[in-house]
Amino acid sequence: MIEPIRLAFEVDCPADHAFDVWTGRISAWWPADHTVSGEADAAVVLEPRPGGRIFERTVSGVEHEWGEIVTWEPPGRFVYLWHLRRDRADATEVEIRFIERGDATTLVEIEHRGWEVLGAEGESWRDRNNGGWATLLPHFVAAARADAGRRRRRRPRRRQAL
Amino acid sequence: MAGPAPARDPFDALGDPNRRAIVELLAGGDRSVQQLADALPISRPAVSRHLRLLKEAGLVVEEPRGTRRIYRLHDEGVAAVRGYLERVWGDAAGRFRVVVENTTPER
Repeated sequence: MIEPIRLAFEVDCPADHAFDVWTGRISAWWPADHTVSGEADAAVVLEPRPGGRIFERTVSGVEHEWGEIVTWEPPGRFVYLWHLRRDRADATEVEIRFIERGDATTLVEIEHRGWEVLGAEGESWRDRNNGGWATLLPHFVAAARADAGRRRRRRPRRRQAL
Repeated sequence: MAGPAPARDPFDALGDPNRRAIVELLAGGDRSVQQLADALPISRPAVSRHLRLLKEAGLVVEEPRGTRRIYRLHDEGVAAVRGYLERVWGDAAGRFRVVVENTTPER
């Protein structure tokens, strides 16, 4: 089993603002080098409801599916399946929680989990491992494609310090 | 991650659409050079060249099976991808913080 990726950090604002910026203005902060198209100007859209789609829309209007919202509880948390145009069965799950502290700061917790869906019991170790790849591959391929696109444009790599 | 570091950057290796196609085919199961060549619009020698590069990047391993060489995805490649995703989330978190702390609620 692959452990979930977990990340937590504090931001200086109330939880509802953090939730709104996270879900409503993804395009403003999501790293362009992890989009399917790799276009810096691609818009990322999240439909704010259970069952809502998350997708990327390029300047020329092409849409790339990212996933689907499964839990929608503003301003405390939301959960989505992240499948990047693959089969839903290959999806990993992402939960974002916004926990307001008393002093108008908010703890943001990210959990990217579900890697273990890949290994049902009884399967051989090799099958499980290929399954691991099947889930990770869309991310990997999207990243590599974006990376190749960026290199073609010869743009310098932008990095934002934490 | 155990073992020696790959000689080539895995993301570099996947910068080519044919190599991405090979990795996607191998995710569906182990294959020989010929089987890969049959599934792709490129020659067998071209497939071999791409496989060598993917091997150097630590994404693919080969093993002899009878008289054939079979290629499969390298197990440790999964760890490399996971490491990459950790960096993506860290990057996303940093960028999110800058935006959220420098904007005011719209309501």
